Amino acid sequence: MTYAVVRSHALIADLLDSNQMRTIASTDSVEEFMLQIAQTPYGQVTLEPDVNPSVSLERIFYRKFIERIVKVVDLVPSNIGELLQTYYYMRFETLNLDRILRGKFSDATPAEIQASLVPMMPYRAPSYQALSEAADIDALLELLKGTAYNTIAEKLPVYKQYDAIWPLELELQHLYSLTILRSVRKLPRSQRRMVSKIVELEADIENFLVAVKQSRAPKEGEGFKPEEMFDATYGISTDVLQLVVDGADLRDSVESLGEPYSAILAPIYEGDVALIRTNLRSQVYKTVNEARAGNDFGFNTIMAYLVFSELEKDDLVGIAWAKEQGLQGEEFLKYLVVPNVS
Amino acid sequence: MEMQSRIIFIERGTEFLKLKRDHLAKELSESIEVLRGRRRLLLESLGEAYKAVQAAYLSLGPTEVESQADSIRSTLDIDLLPKSTMGVQYPYIKILNKPKIEGELDITLSYASDKVFSILEEIIRLAEFESRVERIADELGRTNRKVNALENTVIPDMKAVIKFIQDKLDEEQMEDLVRIKLIGGALASER
Repeated sequence: MTYAVVRSHALIADLLDSNQMRTIASTDSVEEFMLQIAQTPYGQVTLEPDVNPSVSLERIFYRKFIERIVKVVDLVPSNIGELLQTYYYMRFETLNLDRILRGKFSDATPAEIQASLVPMMPYRAPSYQALSEAADIDALLELLKGTAYNTIAEKLPVYKQYDAIWPLELELQHLYSLTILRSVRKLPRSQRRMVSKIVELEADIENFLVAVKQSRAPKEGEGFKPEEMFDATYGISTDVLQLVVDGADLRDSVESLGEPYSAILAPIYEGDVALIRTNLRSQVYKTVNEARAGNDFGFNTIMAYLVFSELEKDDLVGIAWAKEQGLQGEEFLKYLVVPNVS
Repeated sequence: MEMQSRIIFIERGTEFLKLKRDHLAKELSESIEVLRGRRRLLLESLGEAYKAVQAAYLSLGPTEVESQADSIRSTLDIDLLPKSTMGVQYPYIKILNKPKIEGELDITLSYASDKVFSILEEIIRLAEFESRVERIADELGRTNRKVNALENTVIPDMKAVIKFIQDKLDEEQMEDLVRIKLIGGALASER
């Protein structure tokens, strides 16, 4: 563990700081962006032929991030390793299963589905190739039986009733939340606080966004049951979520939540939902930094390295896309985290 | 005589075409003003919609946005029908089915798609209006050319021909008169 902490300290020093990120964000084109990246620890990157440059760069940044997780997981004790694997690998796997489900739903070819996946080995699911080659959603869910994603098949009747994949996607999210909470409980109490804070905050904000989305959907058929939709609530109760779904004044609901929720959710007044996610990521950054201020020689440092790495990856993916679109710095900087931290 | 009645008919037709031309010109100038206003408003709305799409891409990443967008199965179905004003035909676009996106998209993308869909009908109506204005402008050009051709070429040419025939007839009439007078004079001197 001590070696992992010392190593994490060294690795944090290698991450891009806000000035470097601002320099990268101020480039004029994808080519210039890649030249700037070549001068960082990422080194020279090569785009895949016949693939959109921003998509190709997204895969490169994901690969680099997964390499970083692997390096850390190999060094830490098993209970921490399990949590990190669940927190990251299962999250990415959930994303991949989501994309496979969507691909099957829209009759995409196996090659198209595989091209959309996060470049990683399966974690708790069977081979992604086998899943993407399944004849249809029924066959796909059959392949998931007996795995950690067994319960998704139980949502098949709801999927068929609505002819929509959101019931399956919700079950995937539900499974991920349950698994991560189980892993957090295995940590010693002293190490649990920061991860719980992050996981709970993320779950609360996502629940709120789902409630806002539900409030905008046409009200038909069965009534909305928040206790079924929101399996895990923490700082934002199901009562508040129910009020939001019923169309209560958003400003009143948000202000009643207090900090940090009211600050994170404030962009909802202007309808800028993407900025809520940026605020959430900034809050996660703050939480990790505060935890490090309390103890910078334990699990906090390891988690900080991975959290900062992921924020860096997300920002670089955003910048790569922005450069491909010819956007200039100020237009998209507000959606990034690292360039805006002091 | 036949030409005289034809020229009266053509002149009356020219008057009608002039009326049509003036009406089309009025319609065109009014439509251009409306078109400018609607385009400006649409560009503002498009800017907002693009910002929302941009935010969704920055928040979710390009692969996730494309994966979610591909999962929308229903499409926008339209039908193209003809419509006519003052004999000018232009297309009318009837929206038969709008894509159903509720529940399938992440909220950032759902906001962006709402903004795009809120202006989609306006884009279609504006395209329809632009096409109508273009066709009115084409028809105005055609009518103007016809009026000019009739006023400056056909009618003057026909009038010239009538005048030529008239002159010829007058000349022949004069010659006949002179001839009759000469014959009459000759006959009188013989008596």
